[in-house]
Amino acid sequence: MTTRDDLAAAMQRIAAGDRAALEFVYRATSAKLFGICLRITGNRSEAEDALQDVYVSLWNTAGRFDPARASAVSWLAVFARNRAIDRLRRRRRVDQSAPLEAAAEVADARPLADATLLAGEERARVHGCLEQLDEPQRGAIRTAFFDGLTYAELAERRDVPLGTAKSWIRRGLARLKACLEA
Amino acid sequence: MTEHDFLAAELALGLLEGEELLAARGLLASDPAFAALVADWEARLAPLLDEIGPETPPANLWSRVLTQLDTPPTADAEVIALRQNVRRWQWTAGLSALAASLLAILTLPPLFAPKPPPAVPLVAVFTLPSTQARLGVTYLPERGDLLVSAVGLAGDGVHDHELWLVPPDGKTISLGIVTPDQARRVRLRADLAAQLRNGATLALTREPLGGSQGRPAGPVVATTKFFST
Repeated sequence: MTTRDDLAAAMQRIAAGDRAALEFVYRATSAKLFGICLRITGNRSEAEDALQDVYVSLWNTAGRFDPARASAVSWLAVFARNRAIDRLRRRRRVDQSAPLEAAAEVADARPLADATLLAGEERARVHGCLEQLDEPQRGAIRTAFFDGLTYAELAERRDVPLGTAKSWIRRGLARLKACLEA
Repeated sequence: MTEHDFLAAELALGLLEGEELLAARGLLASDPAFAALVADWEARLAPLLDEIGPETPPANLWSRVLTQLDTPPTADAEVIALRQNVRRWQWTAGLSALAASLLAILTLPPLFAPKPPPAVPLVAVFTLPSTQARLGVTYLPERGDLLVSAVGLAGDGVHDHELWLVPPDGKTISLGIVTPDQARRVRLRADLAAQLRNGATLALTREPLGGSQGRPAGPVVATTKFFST
């Protein structure tokens, strides 16, 4: 069983150029991160490319991971989401006609059974705080987070002015933060 | 929440695009306090990723990763990778190794001879004495654009702040007047852009309204250096 400490130590070895440590991290986290890439890109081959990106670029950037700030798996999950969003943006630029909805068809909620690598980081808390938000703030933040939408894309999808989408998100974020810090 | 906190959350969520995104990324690279806000938001939101269940990637994906790590990258990426190596050698073996590695770059096969311009953005930040304001300068080599963010900088109505490049020969080159409290974007002339590189010195001076041509007339307010992100 891989522990959080094992992962954090492996991240430091990657930064020192240890190929075996990269493989260790791959074995421990690739399923989790592939799920994230798949959810964000909504496309299997794109998700595979994104996952490849994640570990190739991890080889050069693992040194940026700061164990004092986040757990390794949490950092990696965010890293994977960001890489997947990069791919998504590049594709949308190339193919502006691709319907945004295409990315939204993968189900949001899945059993958490094997996916609790982030446990111990106030998981329940951010979920609870997000649930407490009213619509449309809650849905706007969820859509931005899980579908990787920009303000402009969110406004287009909801058919509202840009300023409206922005104020939904900002109001939601302020309440979310207040709830998390309460 | 402060404006920077909102911006950090928006960057973490991926909501920004265009100039807002570029300005936020410049801030991220140049302002540790802002970078900490972004990291905080990423950490706050990360647990949501637990909603996404694991999926088994194809069996050959690990070998694809290995193959890419072992494939000589394209010329562009190669130069960046070499630069990283130079940095590593610098740390481990001191100056003589650095000299050797520079030699290695110079003696690369001709495939890489026409050295492409740096593909990574350059970032500089001025910390202004006696104010809270910071001036962020981001250079985007792909487009030759210079992004100057002077948010929080107030004009006094009598002076302009002017941005200068200070090449090794000391002959200052004006990069333009800084617009107080605004993020401004300018396209640099190619010959000017060619002089921007990691470690290049920038100076900020206080000039009469309208700025000075050729060389600064007013006092130097602050200096800083570009670093690559």
